[in-house]
Amino acid sequence: MYIYNRAVWLCITVTVLFAASVSATVIGSEKEDKYVRKDAVSRNNSGDGLSRAGNEKCMSCHARKEIKSLAGKVVFIDPVKFTATTHSIVGCTSCHDQVSPGHPADGSAPSIAKCGDCHDPVREEYSKSLHGSKARCNDCHNPHEVKLPVFMSGDEINSKCAKCHDTRKTIRSHSKWLTQADLHIDSLLCITCHTGSKDYVITMSIESRLPGSGDAFKSATFEELAKLINGEDIRKVIDQNGDNLVSLQELRDFNHHLRGRNMRLWGMMTPEVVTHSYQILENRWDCSFCHASGPKAMQKSFIAFPEKEGGYTRLAVEKGAILDILYGTPDFYMLGTTRSSALNIFGALIVAAGLSFPVSHGFFRFLSRNKRKENDHEA
Amino acid sequence: MKHKEMVYMTPMPVRIWHWLNAFGIVTLCATGLQIRFPDYINIFGAYRAAIRLHNTAGVVVSVSYLLWLIYYLAVARSLIKLYVPTVEDLKSGIFRQAYYYFLAYFFGKPNPHHSTPDSKFNPMQKAAYLVIMLVLLPLVVLSGGLLMYIAPLRELLLLLGGIKMLVGTHFLLSCCFTAFLFVHIYLATLGHTPLAHFKPMWNGWEEETVEDGNPDPDKQITASTK
Repeated sequence: MYIYNRAVWLCITVTVLFAASVSATVIGSEKEDKYVRKDAVSRNNSGDGLSRAGNEKCMSCHARKEIKSLAGKVVFIDPVKFTATTHSIVGCTSCHDQVSPGHPADGSAPSIAKCGDCHDPVREEYSKSLHGSKARCNDCHNPHEVKLPVFMSGDEINSKCAKCHDTRKTIRSHSKWLTQADLHIDSLLCITCHTGSKDYVITMSIESRLPGSGDAFKSATFEELAKLINGEDIRKVIDQNGDNLVSLQELRDFNHHLRGRNMRLWGMMTPEVVTHSYQILENRWDCSFCHASGPKAMQKSFIAFPEKEGGYTRLAVEKGAILDILYGTPDFYMLGTTRSSALNIFGALIVAAGLSFPVSHGFFRFLSRNKRKENDHEA
Repeated sequence: MKHKEMVYMTPMPVRIWHWLNAFGIVTLCATGLQIRFPDYINIFGAYRAAIRLHNTAGVVVSVSYLLWLIYYLAVARSLIKLYVPTVEDLKSGIFRQAYYYFLAYFFGKPNPHHSTPDSKFNPMQKAAYLVIMLVLLPLVVLSGGLLMYIAPLRELLLLLGGIKMLVGTHFLLSCCFTAFLFVHIYLATLGHTPLAHFKPMWNGWEEETVEDGNPDPDKQITASTK
């Protein structure tokens, strides 16, 4: 009987884990989130359908913009943004598991789970980091809107830091040692230098000019983009042949399409594996991490575009597209890393031509030394 | 009879500019090499140090270039006379000089150009220095200056073809300067002694062999004895 019970529980657990992993794949996670405990979704014990049903009950009130608690606190949850999160799959009651039967009329607030209950490895990594004592999870991440970094624009990720670290002040403090700090802060994620994140690629996002701001740009919204392409499917506009890979020619075509329309493609160096290990790393400090990584490091790039439901989808771009061409792709260049091999060869030929003169002339000068002395004597 | 004469060929402001410029350009080429190929070359330690030194040397060369231009245009007023080839230079002078360097020199023939303070450069030098000082150097200074302020000048850079175009131009120009350095230093050793052309650029005075028209006393004595 004992063995029979264990077997039944094992089957149930396996089924729940399988359902959870399938739903995580469906939402489009490109990488397995190794920092989420595998048993996290089983807290609800109700499966995807029931979670959604549970969500609907909560969202019938919380999706209304005007909703406030009895104490006057805004308790609105944006349904579009929430639906796009992994948290919507695990369901409202996974984190708010104790809701009084009289809620909301009795004024009681539902229980709130700690982030570390599910994300313990992240909590541990973060608490050991330089930032651990400065901010709590919720200060940077809104659990009702949270997305994996691959579904965010670089601009959006940096805006989390800018909530506390004023961009102008950040530029000023970095200018003390960093050349062209404004350019760096515009083209890099803060976490590139300040965490041990790994596997960097170039992510190109679509930006639109801020009206009346001169040369300031911000990430283009889905609506702005839809207007630009007259409601066509943006994926088809970028990836014309639909092979899920943006060729260099397709990238050029799209880049030209944006120019003159107050939009641009903007390249940023983004990590594929994000960590919460906030620190100051020596190789970032002396610039060698990015600038001495060699051209092979930056061959991988993506183009990201906003989706109607919020978040971003990205398409892989032909290998090396960002490196080898002079014109047509975004105005993106990383000293020491995205240099063009063709130009290197051309430059080397110029130097070699210069060097060949002293070598060849010197050779004949040496051979003719006696003849020259003779004539000089005669003169 | 021939005798040696010292001619004050290079005034002090020009000498100061020359060595400041030379030191600056060599520094720019060396730091530039590390900046473009940091995965292979590390001369100045941290990448940041190479960038700082490159920017500083760039400013020094730019300022010294401006001083050079002001000196030749407004003070000495000899820019056109010294640096712009005449019609005669273009018609035959350049070819005569090229013939000397590539052939006549090896047979010990004399240099067709005789340097004086008013005509320091031979026709080939004039043409080369004109292109370098009035085309290549301003272009490399301008492209370098724009690349030092990318964020505020982004729109202007796009009008000029974008960062990649500008970086490419700056790199190829720097290759031209490196090539020029090899040729320039080598040609400077072609005086009557290998260091003969280096000395006047250091102390201003060049040793010249001048024909004064008087008979050689040694030869006279030999003739009378016979």
